[in-house]
Amino acid sequence: MLIENVIGAFGEVVQIKILLLMALGVLSGLIAGAIPGFTITMAVVLTLPFTFGLSTVEGLATMIGVFVGGLSGGLMSGVLTGIPGTPSSVATTFDGFPMARKGRPGLALGIGVWSSFFGGIFSAILLMTLAPQLARIGLEFGPWDYFSLVLFALTITASLAGENLVKGLIAGALGLLVATIGEDDINGVARFNFGTDALKQGFAFLPVLVGLFAFSQLMSDVQDTKAARKPLMEKGAKAVRVEHLAAVKAIAGNWINLIRSSLIGVFTGILPAAGGSISNILAYDQAKKASKRPQDFGTGCAEGIVASESANNATAGGALITMMALGIPGDVVTAVMLGALLIHDVVPSPSFIGDQPVLAYSIFLAFFLANFLMLGTQAIALRAFLMVTRIPMYMLAGVILTYCAIGVFALHNVTFDIWTLFWFGLLGYIMRQLGFPLAPMILGVVLGGIAEVNLSRALAISDDLGLFITRPWSLFFLIIAIFSMVFPWYQKQRGRKPWTLGFLPALCLALAPPLFMMGGIPRPIVGGLLVAIGVWLLVSRHRQGWQLEPPEEHEVHLEET
Amino acid sequence: MVGAINRDTVVAVFLLLFCGVFYAASFQIEQTSYGTIGAEVWPRLILAVMFVLSSIYLFQSVRKGPDEAARHEAGFLSRYRNAILCYGLFLAFLLALDFLGMLLGGIAFVFLALSVLGERTPRQLAIHALVAVVSVGAMWAIFTFALRVILPEGEILAIW
Repeated sequence: MLIENVIGAFGEVVQIKILLLMALGVLSGLIAGAIPGFTITMAVVLTLPFTFGLSTVEGLATMIGVFVGGLSGGLMSGVLTGIPGTPSSVATTFDGFPMARKGRPGLALGIGVWSSFFGGIFSAILLMTLAPQLARIGLEFGPWDYFSLVLFALTITASLAGENLVKGLIAGALGLLVATIGEDDINGVARFNFGTDALKQGFAFLPVLVGLFAFSQLMSDVQDTKAARKPLMEKGAKAVRVEHLAAVKAIAGNWINLIRSSLIGVFTGILPAAGGSISNILAYDQAKKASKRPQDFGTGCAEGIVASESANNATAGGALITMMALGIPGDVVTAVMLGALLIHDVVPSPSFIGDQPVLAYSIFLAFFLANFLMLGTQAIALRAFLMVTRIPMYMLAGVILTYCAIGVFALHNVTFDIWTLFWFGLLGYIMRQLGFPLAPMILGVVLGGIAEVNLSRALAISDDLGLFITRPWSLFFLIIAIFSMVFPWYQKQRGRKPWTLGFLPALCLALAPPLFMMGGIPRPIVGGLLVAIGVWLLVSRHRQGWQLEPPEEHEVHLEET
Repeated sequence: MVGAINRDTVVAVFLLLFCGVFYAASFQIEQTSYGTIGAEVWPRLILAVMFVLSSIYLFQSVRKGPDEAARHEAGFLSRYRNAILCYGLFLAFLLALDFLGMLLGGIAFVFLALSVLGERTPRQLAIHALVAVVSVGAMWAIFTFALRVILPEGEILAIW
């Protein structure tokens, strides 16, 4: 079945036109990802209008190319100048830049590129094998479970997205509210149109997204006149020859680190809303803990680069697993991808892979191939990146703003969409200035409709609200939603307050009951294991006299990737 | 009392008012005799959550006290000058879209935005004009001829 689907997808994807589009996408992503101030989200958002005229497979393959390229592009500026191109490459600079300063920039880049490649391939294989399995689990979900899953996606995004959980939750609620404006999907009644015809249809997803992310980001980038007038990078980065052979040898000696970091990346990606900005730091910390020479970290050791770069590329595969199998975006970039799928009349859900296997596997295959294209186009991207960095930010901002206007107009050929872009650009800028994270808002806009439809379905089946806590999957998601809301306090007070020692054991023990309720054999076994881990953690901490451990060096925060 | 108010307090009060306005507007939503839940239920549920969160935010901001850093901040206009000008120019571009069209309006917007944000020496102005014509012209050509999108023509080009 798997082989049949892959062969079918092969015929769809392996065409000169699609491969060229993907190569162009990867190249654009590599360059955009390398430029500090530009994010992968922005690159993917800006690519979206170009895909309107393309077929579904062509459009999605191009956007996946941008996604993969963007994740790998951040390392170029990180290694050559010490400034990470995207938050996904922050940990890469810890060792990449020192290695470059020691005279081995080619090796640092090579390790980064090949680690990205292996991390991407690893996650592509897991994507092809895990996504159908997760979709099968998703078929068990009823509307109660889906509603709770959306709630969990929003709470975890809010808790990871910034310093203030309340601001994150308000942003998420605001996103849900924006999604209610216009005609509702269930009753066909206009809401909050304030007597205007223009608002009766509601806001199109793309102008809202481009306004919130791209427009507001560009305005933030040009806020400081002096900085905006300088070239993108003042620290002159020079072209270097990538040491491929030496890099592959260095990675071969680090294969356990590579697999561990890739797994961290995939599972961070699977978690709704957690993206590459988190996984690279987590993988770096784990690599340092497991290393025989932890003192070398930060001085230019290969292990640090391998961990960070393999993890951030593997995150993309993980995020796609959740999106393809459940229709829930794994991070903000996949939220955009979900929007793109909806524009192309494709609605991911647990039955999507079974119903449209060729299209689903075409997306998987495009992700797999994009990693090879990333390797091939990396040398061209490096040269292009060095040219782009000579341009001042204000020039790019002015041109891209116009491009945003043309792009969103192309969606429905109505000027109202450019007005939407303007107002949401203003809103996004104000929210940024006031410290409100935008990721929960975007997820709120994307998931608002799904949440409402499932709430309505749940209440149509039964008006018993108790089902939200008596159904195992719903209870499972609600429990992790509660723990995700406590997570910011846990992270802040870990190593300082005794209650934090009970957080992980409590999580393990709380998650076990819904797993027991699910029945069968494997899930109760996992539940039993969680109980055992929880008890073991409690006993070992009791034996140590509830001694506080020093906190992690790097705090985990979700940033716009 | 005024000195005790910080930026977050103002935002929290605004959010509470916003919830109030939208809650009042939810009574304008048409009631239907079909459907499991009325079209107004879900938005009201969100507004209730938002109201509670905004109240917590207000409480947090009041407890925090006055914002010391804000008192020493540079003037509002100088800090947000570029953003205000760009939003203003974009608004003007939108208002003039029916008259100038996407091509001429876009070129004018890019040229003015670059000249406002960058240096205004004759050489730089010439570069800004070149960048505006080439970039917007190229994008217009791609969307019009390659992607076959009919962009707003404007009254000026329509006469030609």
